[in-house]
Amino acid sequence: MRSNSLSYSWIAALPLMGLLSVLILVLAFLLLPASAIADEQKTATPIQIPNPAADLWREVRQRDVVGVGTTQAAGVDAGTLINPYGSNWTQFRMQMLIPYGGYLLGGMLLLLLVFYLVRGRIRMEEAPSGKKLFRYTVYERTIHWFQASLFLFLAVTGLIMLFGRSLILPVTGPEVFSVLASASKEGHNLFGPVFLLALLLMFIQFVRRNIYERGDLTWLLRGGGIIGKTHLPSNFFNMGEKTLFWMLILIGGAIVASGLLLVFPVFGQGRVIMELSHVAHGIGALVMITAVLGHIYIGSIGMEGAVENMTTGYCDLTWAKEHHSNWAERCEQHGEVLSDEQVARSQGSHRYQADDVDAETVRETN
Amino acid sequence: MIAQFIDGPLWYFSSIVFVLGVLYRIFLIIKAGVKPDLAVPRQNGTFGAVRTMFSRFVPRRDIAKRGRLQVVAGYMFHLGLFVLLFFAKPHVDFFAERVTGVGWTPVPYWVFIVSAELAFAGLLLLWLYRLMHPVTRLLSSTGDHVGTGLVFLVMLSGCLALAHSFEALRLTHLLLAEMLLIYFPFSNLMHAFTFIFSRGFTGALMARKGINA
Repeated sequence: MRSNSLSYSWIAALPLMGLLSVLILVLAFLLLPASAIADEQKTATPIQIPNPAADLWREVRQRDVVGVGTTQAAGVDAGTLINPYGSNWTQFRMQMLIPYGGYLLGGMLLLLLVFYLVRGRIRMEEAPSGKKLFRYTVYERTIHWFQASLFLFLAVTGLIMLFGRSLILPVTGPEVFSVLASASKEGHNLFGPVFLLALLLMFIQFVRRNIYERGDLTWLLRGGGIIGKTHLPSNFFNMGEKTLFWMLILIGGAIVASGLLLVFPVFGQGRVIMELSHVAHGIGALVMITAVLGHIYIGSIGMEGAVENMTTGYCDLTWAKEHHSNWAERCEQHGEVLSDEQVARSQGSHRYQADDVDAETVRETN
Repeated sequence: MIAQFIDGPLWYFSSIVFVLGVLYRIFLIIKAGVKPDLAVPRQNGTFGAVRTMFSRFVPRRDIAKRGRLQVVAGYMFHLGLFVLLFFAKPHVDFFAERVTGVGWTPVPYWVFIVSAELAFAGLLLLWLYRLMHPVTRLLSSTGDHVGTGLVFLVMLSGCLALAHSFEALRLTHLLLAEMLLIYFPFSNLMHAFTFIFSRGFTGALMARKGINA
């Protein structure tokens, strides 16, 4: 089993790499002196030349409403010369979304860091039992990592597009950044629809076990066992995992829908809808990245024995009793506890024997 | 300097390695031959060979059920890559300019994008399944992962260069494609050609024995 654990170690490193890259980006943003941004804005100030047509365009713009004229040109918004909401959107993006998004991500990373320093790694209170419970099938783990890799790619490319101008451009210069930004945009647009597929597969496979049950609220109200040393009973998934699942489905669905509106401007959507889609896309993505940072933390360095669930498909009975006691009890009652030896054989660590327990069939009866 | 090298000498070198390497591997297979079968054949071996080449595209019912993910993802990847490689406009233009001298009708842009997405999704799912399943994990060698990784990187760099705006991205894609061409004959990626021989051999052998395989 040891060799198997080692062979899986790179998978555990995958979310860590994403975490580190985001950490570097956001920390760099937070450390970036405000003066640098101000200087950039100063240099962007246009030369003051009186515009002879200013009065005309002021009339055309009409400030707070979208003035629609008549034209023979076909197409959505063809009759609109100036969309005043465009500047609102730009201001929102530059003055709200980017700085507050940075604070949100930075705050989450800081929180995780503080939590790690204070609480440390949540270890199993008792020694590993030498017995295992089967938790995730190969298919379930495959689609989990499929979604995880897509999410990380989309998150990194999206963050480059959102924060790159403030963080990367001053470091790399325009030549390198323009290449990076173009590559990120193309990659983001291409992989976005694939994320929809991952979302659908995830929903179909996991929805049944993520329906809220009695006891979930108690788990949440008592802090999920994070505060203090008490272990709270939970089922196959606890309230936190279920909430992340529904966030992924609902907010992730909104992110995908708004992303499709942005990438495919062929559904008759005008500029205003595109601007609103961008706002929804940005806010939703930042919220999801923040939540997933917590998920990555607790699923890797934050908790002993957690990552093995999604790499090997098995968990130790002691771990299950401490974190998912209701489910562990049910498994014990149904005789679904496996020995380390049986698991090692099914994983190919020992020569296959005909009397091996087929873990997949155990799962079927669960 | 580097750009000229990637666009010129390295392209010719990698193409030569690819063509000669593939031909040499196929020559070795043909040269190895098969043992003479002195038994009276029950069916025509050639017919069995041709039939099996095509019949194996349809998975057996039990395999299609148990290995649904592999079958679906396998078709997504291979069909997506086929369309992407031979019918995407940038590739058609490239073939016309550098290889064949004549072009052909490319697929519309949206078909190109959908193919790329199917290919990416299929490749990722297959690669993850290979890592997750204990049997396929044990069967897989480092070479398998290198081959898969190279194919993935070539596809990824191509997708990042979709805007056609930056020479650096096009060159990255070309460089990785050249690495793949050099690696191809020495790897299991040769199955793109050798599947014909393996299926043909099995089909002929089984037909001669009178087995409907």
